Amino acid sequence: MAYYQRTYVLCYFCQIVNNKFAAKSENNKVCKCYQNIKKLLSIKFKNFIRSQSELRRKKFVCLIYKCKFYVKVESLIIEAMPSEIITLQLGQCGNQIGFEFWKRLCLEHGISPSGVLEDFATDGVDRKDVFFYQADDDHYIPRAVLLDLEPRVIHSIMSSPYAKLYNPENVYLSKHGGGAGNNWASGYSQGEKLQEEVFDIIDREADGSDSLEGFVLCHSIAGGTGSGMGSYIMERLSDRFPKKLIQTYSVFPNQDEISDVVVQPYNSLLTLRRLTSCADCVVVLDNTALNRIATDRLHIQNPSFTQINTLVSTIMSVSTTTLRYPSYMNNNLIGLTAPLIPTPQLHFLMTGYTPLTTDNDQTVNVRKTTVLDVMRRLLQPKNMMVSTGPDKTNHHCYISILNIIQGEVDPTQVHKSLQRIRERKLAQFIPWGPASIQVALSRSSPYVQSSHRVSGLMLANHTSICSLFERALGQYDKLKKRGAFLDQFRREDIFKDDLSELDDSRDVVDCLVQEYEAATQSNYLQWSAKKGQEEAH
Amino acid sequence: MSRNVLDSGGCGDASEGGRGDYKDIYELLAELCKHLAGPSENHREILRHVTQYISNCPTALGSTLPFDETSILTKITHHLDSSAAKSVTSNLCSAGSQFGATGSDCAHSAGETSSAINNSALFLKFHEQLKAALPDEHQRTALLTFLYFMSDSKYSTDNGHNVGNVKSHRSQLMASTNSAFQSIRSHLLHKTSSQQQPQHSILPVNNRARNEESVKPMVSGRSAFSRMTPENDPTGGNCGVIHGVNFPSLHADGSKSLDLQNNVNDDIVQNIIYVFTGIQGKYLKKDVISGRFKLDSKVKSLNVVQAGMLLRLSELGYYHDLVQSYTDSKSGLCPLGLMGQGFVSALKKELTRYYGMVATLQEQLNRQRDHEHNTILRGNSIIPMRHERLTLMKILVWSVDALKRLQWLATIAEACQEKKGGALASTVHSFLNNGNPTVKSLVRELLLAICGPLYQMLSHWLLEGEICDPHGEFFIECLAEVGPDRLWHDKYRVRIAMLPNFMSTEMAHKILVTGKSINFLCEICEDKRPVKGRDELRLCIEENADHIFSRVADTKLHSTIDAIYLNTSKRVLDIVMGPHKLLEHLQAMRRYLLLGQGDFIGILMENLKCELDKPAKELYSYDLSSIMDAAIRSTNAQYDDPEILNHLDVRLLTPCDGDIGWDILSLQYTVRGPLATMLEPCMGIYQILFKPLWRMKHMEFVLSSKIWKDQKCNAKPLRAMGSELNQVLYRLHLLTSEMIHFIHQMQYYILFEVIECSWAELQDRVQSAKALDDILDAHDEFLNAIKCGAFLDSNSGQLCQNMENVYDGIIRLELWQNKFYEICFKELSARKEYENHICISEEAGEFGVTAERQLERDQERKIFEQIIGSYHKSLDNICADYEKAVRCFLLALNSHNDHNLQLFGIRLDFNEYYKKRDQRLCVPLTFEHMRMSIMFNGNKSLAGSRYSVVN
Ligand SMILES: Nc1nc2c(ncn2[C@@H]2O[C@H](COP(=O)(O)OP(=O)(O)OP(=O)(O)O)[C@@H](O)[C@H]2O)c(=O)[nH]1
Ligand SMILES: [Mg+2]
Repeated sequence: MAYYQRTYVLCYFCQIVNNKFAAKSENNKVCKCYQNIKKLLSIKFKNFIRSQSELRRKKFVCLIYKCKFYVKVESLIIEAMPSEIITLQLGQCGNQIGFEFWKRLCLEHGISPSGVLEDFATDGVDRKDVFFYQADDDHYIPRAVLLDLEPRVIHSIMSSPYAKLYNPENVYLSKHGGGAGNNWASGYSQGEKLQEEVFDIIDREADGSDSLEGFVLCHSIAGGTGSGMGSYIMERLSDRFPKKLIQTYSVFPNQDEISDVVVQPYNSLLTLRRLTSCADCVVVLDNTALNRIATDRLHIQNPSFTQINTLVSTIMSVSTTTLRYPSYMNNNLIGLTAPLIPTPQLHFLMTGYTPLTTDNDQTVNVRKTTVLDVMRRLLQPKNMMVSTGPDKTNHHCYISILNIIQGEVDPTQVHKSLQRIRERKLAQFIPWGPASIQVALSRSSPYVQSSHRVSGLMLANHTSICSLFERALGQYDKLKKRGAFLDQFRREDIFKDDLSELDDSRDVVDCLVQEYEAATQSNYLQWSAKKGQEEAH
Repeated sequence: MSRNVLDSGGCGDASEGGRGDYKDIYELLAELCKHLAGPSENHREILRHVTQYISNCPTALGSTLPFDETSILTKITHHLDSSAAKSVTSNLCSAGSQFGATGSDCAHSAGETSSAINNSALFLKFHEQLKAALPDEHQRTALLTFLYFMSDSKYSTDNGHNVGNVKSHRSQLMASTNSAFQSIRSHLLHKTSSQQQPQHSILPVNNRARNEESVKPMVSGRSAFSRMTPENDPTGGNCGVIHGVNFPSLHADGSKSLDLQNNVNDDIVQNIIYVFTGIQGKYLKKDVISGRFKLDSKVKSLNVVQAGMLLRLSELGYYHDLVQSYTDSKSGLCPLGLMGQGFVSALKKELTRYYGMVATLQEQLNRQRDHEHNTILRGNSIIPMRHERLTLMKILVWSVDALKRLQWLATIAEACQEKKGGALASTVHSFLNNGNPTVKSLVRELLLAICGPLYQMLSHWLLEGEICDPHGEFFIECLAEVGPDRLWHDKYRVRIAMLPNFMSTEMAHKILVTGKSINFLCEICEDKRPVKGRDELRLCIEENADHIFSRVADTKLHSTIDAIYLNTSKRVLDIVMGPHKLLEHLQAMRRYLLLGQGDFIGILMENLKCELDKPAKELYSYDLSSIMDAAIRSTNAQYDDPEILNHLDVRLLTPCDGDIGWDILSLQYTVRGPLATMLEPCMGIYQILFKPLWRMKHMEFVLSSKIWKDQKCNAKPLRAMGSELNQVLYRLHLLTSEMIHFIHQMQYYILFEVIECSWAELQDRVQSAKALDDILDAHDEFLNAIKCGAFLDSNSGQLCQNMENVYDGIIRLELWQNKFYEICFKELSARKEYENHICISEEAGEFGVTAERQLERDQERKIFEQIIGSYHKSLDNICADYEKAVRCFLLALNSHNDHNLQLFGIRLDFNEYYKKRDQRLCVPLTFEHMRMSIMFNGNKSLAGSRYSVVN
């Protein structure tokens, strides 16, 4: 039986089930039928079948038998939309970078700010259903949940042109509205209190997806809501959805400016603990590096969050491009992360992007960029979105690299570039296992004009990321030694009895740093054995 | 010759046969002139004019005469009346009487009636007689007109001053005059030949009869010859004779002995002429075995010189026989088929021409004899025939060319024995390369004759796509038993044996493709429009026939064939790329069968996973089809043209014992119609390619979606047992990441560097394709490149085996991990239960568990630890085996002679992890290395290094 025949049967089937769609599709061309079915299956018909009793389902099967065709009802019901991802954005930072991210996705998929598919984008080869779901024919809604404890940011989103994009049911604002006051503990306990309402939204969203692959969390680790409430939600997510991946885009605080958030080291450490133990993959976005890149490379004095967030949204969108524009490989979150993360703990990724230009800075150079140029530049620390500080002993190394290259790429160039990089030893790799630069050549959106011939994003697992954690530990230790600002923490439930949570977190983060250090050595495996034995005693 | 035009009326044979009677005509003419001009010197002048006339313008025998019979009669009578006194008039009458009834009594009266009788009345009387003798009015009129003009005073002026006038008149009168002369001649010849019959009885009767026999072919041969050689002076024959007559012979009437000698000579000549046509005579007999002529031992009269010459001349007869035998279909020697018939008829034509030449000889001999008889009989030689005698020597000279020609014909014909078609043409063509222009043109003629049917077949094929080749001569054959689905690839082929050697294989291929394309369009694509401009093409083929032998293929014919080829190919391309969407289908096959549509394949695998884990026998393809449909609907495949998706289906191979679903599943792209005709032979390759690609994808799926994901998900709950499990878990994680690295690199290499790069090349070539075969060839190469890249070609068996070992490790790990986690979770829940139990008992105030329970728990825990220990060991085993497999794979890659595969090997070990752990990987390292060592140390070291590589 050919595909169209089978589809035709489905069509016939649909007619029986739902008179509303019976309109003369018998006479229709098969293509038309197919379109109808697509619509039917997408939402209403599927729900309809789901809502039927076992008996009625059986009946349908009989009906189809009557048509002399056999179609598995299950295959109608399990219309698996693969690797769907729910985005959770928390706090000011989370919502702001999330906002930029959706703006960018809409642009790339040809979806208007109100969620309507633009006319020019109807026959796309992109997959919108990873991040959006289809309300009806041409209306797309982000699988996004917006959470904050204070209304300012979300209000500004809801009064922007993109207000209609989001499902209003997915926007949650704490009624209390006072925020978490940059206090992790406050955010954490508010999260606990509000968990029912929050998880109502998340569960509903998860149920609405056919084959949810995971969650993406956007937040900062320094504030109160994003870090505290984010921590709580991460813990719950890994309990409730043990089979789903949790990926985070975590913004690390800017070290160059004196923060007015004095408890930032506490917040960071406590969040880092959750990022270590609950998240499966953390993409580290370091405000320090982002600011430096904006000022040094893009020549922006005092870059605003919006300007920095454009960088962030670029990283977020490119790092998901293989999911949204499927080709040979890395088409789902697992396929993307599995090759990057060898052991469960070592899951903090750095990013780099090149070429970095602002709109008014388009040199001729950019046009001539080759794949080798891109790959070489991606290995330079100055292009990394993480400021790791100087590696004095020069012992840090790459655990894994994935370069997502976009643009006009001659496939044979990739191979040559890799050979060159290998010969010149431009990248140092772990000694305890095979590792290399993996390359994903990805299509890019036809609706966004890029001024670059070739551009590349690097997702790298590099041991030097631990310097960030070391820094956080150092700052924490300084603060903790003074016992400063602990009162506001004690006020919250989790610190009511003691501050052991802080010490535990310190241990976890310290252990993480050790593991990264160990990963630079060839006896990493023996180290882990030793660690196991130590823990046993 | 033009005479034929006139004589076509029925007396042609007579006039031809009577060539020897020209002498009589000349005599008559001379006498006539004498009569007309009187006995003065003047008559010579007139005679000269007349002969010149005749010899110059035999063609001018117009059918239109200036006057009709009655008016010319009145003119003559008037002329006679007005000039009764003149002697010329009476002469005219006597001439008329002579013509009117040759040899009758009128001849006597000519002299007597000259005086007083009414001239005109006399003339009219003669005219009546003429009427009775010559029933054709036209001829009569011509005769009379001639006489009238001859008798006109202008011609018979004494001083000949009027010659200029004559000339001026000539232009208008020539025609009639000549016509008149011709008529007279033919008429007379007719008569004389019958009269002369008895005189010929001197010849041996049997010879005579034979002569009669042989004259016939000679005659037709002669005419054929003349037609074949238009460049010959049409008047040549006449001229020669007449000129010969013109000069008084110095030849004395001769003595009797001379006559006798002449007779013997003539006899020998006659004999040799017979021999020329293969007839044995008095002197020469045929050898029964060799077919050559030899001297008859009974004949003693020949001297040594004559015998030698005879023998030499007899060669001609031998070759004549030989050539003739090749034209005889009964001999079994002649070439076969239509083209063979063409050849035979060309040979026959050549023979006819030869007969014509022999006939000329015979004629000359006859004349010579006649002349001698005449002299003997009449005793008075009016104009002694001055003719060089036909001697053996002369004939020998004459025979050189003919012999050459016959020899060549015989050689060629011999080479062509029992050949046919293209082979025949090739054989003949191989003679074309001859320095001798005569031979060259001879061969060219033969070739043209042979190739006649070939052109017909060719143009039929090029324009209609049909083969009309009952004898299997055409260099393209159609295999009737091959069905339309293999029309493009197998149905038609070049029959190499029948390919003429002047036709390049490239040309033959183009011709093959052209006709094939027409059939393809017509039968498969149902596009029955005729070829554009076919009439011009046909014309061109027919007009430029001999271009086909051209050594350089740049003639008009070649360019025409090229043009037809390109035209037809373009049409095929248009229809195949347009309505039949060839490129789209190729694209679809790449996307679905070569896994280009990653999301679709991913989902398909995900959705099929439960089904495919089942034993193969429990699978039904309709279940799988609907799952595949679901995968299509839920991925970007849904945007594909439904027409294309219709071709996609799931196919289950026949399962072997112990197979599970994964082993027998295959995606299938059903091709129909024109697509099937084009791509059917490749579909098998797609099936071959699909399997390892699918398997590789399956491995990736197992690794990431099962092994890695399980590890991720289980890591959190099992953290509590970290102290016991960490060691094993780390080992597990590292092995997994090693495997993932391998499989990802592998996939990247095959899917991207091999398939994608080859695809880009294919696309380029499709864009620039001029013919369907360009695309199909590019496509074949595309598949071949993938076959090599995916280690499926013949010299990658080792790699394939190593890869299987690597995959084995992955499967083993999956099984191991499943059991391992099962045990871990069992232990975990047991512990939880134990803790719970303690908690509950504490709440109940019982404080803890019984010692028994604790002991039991401790025991279980110990057992668990032991189990974990043994699992750790088996994991180590898997690790070791896996690493060995990978190293072997790398070694095989390093020593592979495909440079790309070596580079891939280097890429697989990018950070030299394996190299550091295995010395052997350092040694032969690269192909360059090996090549260098071959260069410096010879093959021995290669063998050595290979040995070390393999072990
Ligand atoms: N890159 C980037 N960083 C931001 C942005 N907004 C805030 N941050 C960083 O986030 C940290 C502050 O956390 P916020 O997100 O403002 O805090 P919050 O999660 O809203 O928590 P509360 O305000 O305490 O309820 C600081 O380190 C800021 O530098 C932003 O738009 N982009
Ligand atoms: Mg805030």
